[in-house]
Amino acid sequence: MKVKIGLEVHQQIATERKFYCNCPTNYQDVPPNTNVCPICTGMPGAKPLSPNERAVNAAIEIAVMLGCKVITGQTVYIQRKHYDYPDLPSGYQRTSLPIASEGTLEGVRIREVHLEEDPGQYNPVAGTADYNRSGVPLVEIVTEPDMKSPEEARRFLRLLTRVLEYTGKVRPEAGGAMRADVNISLEGGGRVEVKNVNSVKGAYRALKFEIIRQRDKIKRGETVVRETRAYLESQMTTVPMRAKETEEDYRYIPDPDIFPLVLEKERVDRITAGMAEAPHIREERLIKQYGIPKPAAEVIVSERGLADLYEAVAKDVDPKLAATWFRTKLKKVLNYMKLQAADVKFTPGQLAGLLRMVKTKKVTPEQGELVLREIVKKPAEPEELLVKLGLIPLKRSELTKAISGTITTNPVAVKDYRAGKTKALEFLTGKVMGQTKGKADPRAVRKILIRRLKSRHRTRK
Amino acid sequence: MGRTLEKLDSINRGELSAVDNVWQALERIEKLDKKINSFIELNSNAVAEAEAVHRRLQRGEKVGKLEGLVIGVKSNLNVTGLRATCASRTLDNYVSTYDADVVKRVRAAGGIVIGVNNMDEFACGSSGETSAFGPTDNPAAPGHIPGGSSSGGGAAIAAGLCDLCLGTDTGGSIRNPASHCGVVGVKPTYGLVPRQGLIDLGMSLDQIGSIAPDVVGAALLLETIAGKTQNECVMLDVDKARYLDRLGDGVKGMRVGVSQKFRDLTDPAVMGVIDKSVEKLREFGAEIVDVQLPNLERGLTAYYLIVSVEFFSGTRKFDGRKYGKRIEDVCGEEVLRRIMRGRYISQKEYRGKFYQRALQVRTLVRQELMAALEKVDVIVGPTVPKLPHRLGAKLTPMEMYAYDYLTIPANLAGICAGVVKAGDVGGIPVGVQAQGKILGESDMFRVMHVLEAKA
Repeated sequence: MKVKIGLEVHQQIATERKFYCNCPTNYQDVPPNTNVCPICTGMPGAKPLSPNERAVNAAIEIAVMLGCKVITGQTVYIQRKHYDYPDLPSGYQRTSLPIASEGTLEGVRIREVHLEEDPGQYNPVAGTADYNRSGVPLVEIVTEPDMKSPEEARRFLRLLTRVLEYTGKVRPEAGGAMRADVNISLEGGGRVEVKNVNSVKGAYRALKFEIIRQRDKIKRGETVVRETRAYLESQMTTVPMRAKETEEDYRYIPDPDIFPLVLEKERVDRITAGMAEAPHIREERLIKQYGIPKPAAEVIVSERGLADLYEAVAKDVDPKLAATWFRTKLKKVLNYMKLQAADVKFTPGQLAGLLRMVKTKKVTPEQGELVLREIVKKPAEPEELLVKLGLIPLKRSELTKAISGTITTNPVAVKDYRAGKTKALEFLTGKVMGQTKGKADPRAVRKILIRRLKSRHRTRK
Repeated sequence: MGRTLEKLDSINRGELSAVDNVWQALERIEKLDKKINSFIELNSNAVAEAEAVHRRLQRGEKVGKLEGLVIGVKSNLNVTGLRATCASRTLDNYVSTYDADVVKRVRAAGGIVIGVNNMDEFACGSSGETSAFGPTDNPAAPGHIPGGSSSGGGAAIAAGLCDLCLGTDTGGSIRNPASHCGVVGVKPTYGLVPRQGLIDLGMSLDQIGSIAPDVVGAALLLETIAGKTQNECVMLDVDKARYLDRLGDGVKGMRVGVSQKFRDLTDPAVMGVIDKSVEKLREFGAEIVDVQLPNLERGLTAYYLIVSVEFFSGTRKFDGRKYGKRIEDVCGEEVLRRIMRGRYISQKEYRGKFYQRALQVRTLVRQELMAALEKVDVIVGPTVPKLPHRLGAKLTPMEMYAYDYLTIPANLAGICAGVVKAGDVGGIPVGVQAQGKILGESDMFRVMHVLEAKA
C-alpha cells in the first residue's frame, strides 16, 4: 500500500529578544510570567515593535540552506491567525506568508518556509498560563508529501535537525524547541494530520501507529476520513481531536500594526555569503575533496563543530587517517565525556600533532588514544602529554632486553606456545607490556616474539 | 490671543500656578459635569503632579510646551493607575499598568492629566450615547448629542472643563464631536502619532489627535505628541513636527479644493454655513478650485466592513480570561453588531466577497483624494452632513452611520483633517473641515486659523 508523508516542522529561533518586543527569550530559566511586557501579554492597547531582524535573517538562512528560493522584492504580509486558547494572549497568532519556497533536502521537496511566534504555555490541570514563551520567534518548514515510510520521515527529520543545527540560529532540540505536524495518507484513504509531535522519535512512532491503524481500517473495508489527530506521547498512539478544534476558520487578516516584510535581494545575498555550508552538501564535498569513505564523512558532518575541526586538522595530516580517528576514537571520547565538538578547548594543531605522531609510529594507536583523552580533558601539546603520561617511546635495546628477559623467565609459556597453544603468546605479550610499563607497542612485541620463538624452534631442529 | 495662549501666558508669568489651574478645572468639573457627563474618572494624583510641574517652573527649569495645562484623555488610552475602560463593562476593572506613548509625551511636556473622558463604547458610535457610563450632553447645544466617539473630549472642551483633550479618530471620532460642540479637532496623518497604548478599534484607521478650544491649542498638542518612536512599527519617518511657526501665514495664493459631492450629501442648512467659510477663504486670497470626488460616499460601506473585521480581531483578547468579562457577554448593541459583522465577513468563504472588496474600495477612495490633493493644497467642506439629533432619539444603524460620510474618507486615505467652528444653525454649532495632504498638517492649520478668526 502506497504511503505518502509530509511534514510541517516548527523550530524556535535562538534570538535573545522576542519577535515583536524586547523581552528575553530564555523562558525555561526564569519563574513564570517574568519575561513579559504589555506587548507579549497582549495588554489592551499594546502594539508590536518592528519584527526582530535577527529572527527574519535566521529564517532566510535556513531557507537558503534548504535550497529554497527566497521571495525578494515583494511584500510578505504578517497575518493574524485567530483562534481561542488560553495560551494565546491576543486571541491570534502572528504568522507570515511564505518567505521562501521550492527547496529540497535529500530528495524531499520543501514547499515553503515562513515565520511565526510561539504562544505562551497553558497548564490545563492547574488552569494557569505562563507567557514567558509568548512571542518567541519560530520558523516553520513545510515539505511536500514526498516521504514514503516512517523510516524516510525519521531520516529526513534527522537531516533537517542537522541543517538547523548548522545554522547555529535555532534553539538546541530540548524543551519543545522542535515540534512537528505530521501528515500521512495511505492509498485509498484520506489525509490525516497528527499534531502534538515533539521529537524525531515521536514522529516516527506516530507514523508507525497511523500506518497500522489506517491499513487495518482499509483492510476492513472502512474509510479513512480526513481528520486531525493528536499524538499521545505516553501511549505512543494517536487520538482524534475534537471537531471544534479542527474545523476552525482562522479568519486570516494581514496584521494592520506591522509593515509587511520586504526582503531585498542584497540582504539575502549577504546572508548567503556569510552562512555555513549545508551539512548534506559539505558531506559530498568532504568525500570528494579528501577521498574519505561516506560513513566517516557522515559522522564528521553530524556536528558543524566536528566538521570544522576535521577540516582544520586535515590540512596538516593525512586526511584519511584523520577521518578514521574522527569517526572512531574522537567521537567515542567526545560521547563519553558528553561534549559537543563545538565545546572542545584544544586547538586543531594539537590534534594534528598527535595524528602525525601516530602516522610516523612515534606512538601506538593505543597510546594515541590515551593522549587524545588527555587533550580533550586538559588541552596541551601532544609531546608534553607523552612525557606527562610516561609514554616516552621505548628504545629498541630496552625492548629487546625486555623480550629476552620475558622469554627466559617464562619457560612454561614458551613451551606451551611452541606446542601450539597460541594463547600463550598473549600471556607473553602481556608480560612484556608489563615490564615496559605499557610503553611498548603490543603489535611490535607480538611480531618480535613470534619471530624469536619460531627461530629458536628452528635452531633446535 | 485665544484661550490656550492666554492660559499659557498667565502660567508663564506666574499669575496662575499649575496647581491652581488643576484646582480650577476640578471645581468646574465638580460643578458642571454631573449634567454633562464628559469625565468617567478623575486623576486623584493630578494636584501632586501639578505641584511637581509648579516646582520645576519656580526653579526656572524648562518644562515644555504644555507647562501646567490640564489635559483630558479619552478612555481608550492607557494612563498608568487609571482605568482604561473604553466606556465598556468589558474593561470596567482594567487599571492601566503603563502610559500610552502620547500620554508619556504630554507628561514630559508639562501637561497634567486631569482625568479620563467619556466616549462611545470602544469608540463604536457617532453620538456619545453608547457609553456604559451613560450618554454625554452637548454643552454648546444642551439636549443634543455631542457627537462621538470622542464625546467626552468635545464636551469637556466646549464647557471649559479642561484646557486640551486627547481624542482618537477612526472614522471621524474627533472631528464629529468637534463640529457638534463647536470646538477644534484634528485627526493627524496616519502614522504621525504613535498609537502604542491606544486600545484598538480599526488599527489601520485609528489615529490619536487633539481636541482644543482653538487652533493654537490643537496645533500645540499635536506638536507635542507627533513624531516617530522606536516603540512601534507602523509609523511615518517624522522626527519633529512644527506647526505654530507658520500658523499665521494666511492663505494667500493657497489652492483650496471644494467638491459638488459635499453639497449632494449635506443638509442645505449646514452647507449654507460652510459656503460662508469658503467665501471667507476666497476673501483672504485663496484660490478656490473644484475637485472631483465621484466615489466619496462609497467609502462609508467599505469603512464599516474594514473597521468591523479589524475590531473583531482586536477584541479577541477580551476573552474573559484576563480582564474579567468576555466582551460579547457584556458589551452594548453597536459593539456586538460590529464584532458579529466582523466575524461573519472575515470567514474564509466570504473573503473575496466582502473584506477584499472593501479594501479595493478603500484604495479607490484613497486614489481619488490623492489625485484631488495633487491639484490643491487643502480640501474644504462640511464635517458632518446633518445637525446633531436630540439625546435619546432612536436612530437606525444606517442613520447613525450616515453621520460619518464626510469624515471617513480621510481615515481611508490616511490624510490629515481638522475641524473648526464655522458658524451655527439655530444655535447648534457647525464645523468646517479642512482635509490636507499626507503630512500636510501645516497647510491645514493655516487654513483652520484663517477660518477661526473672527471677522
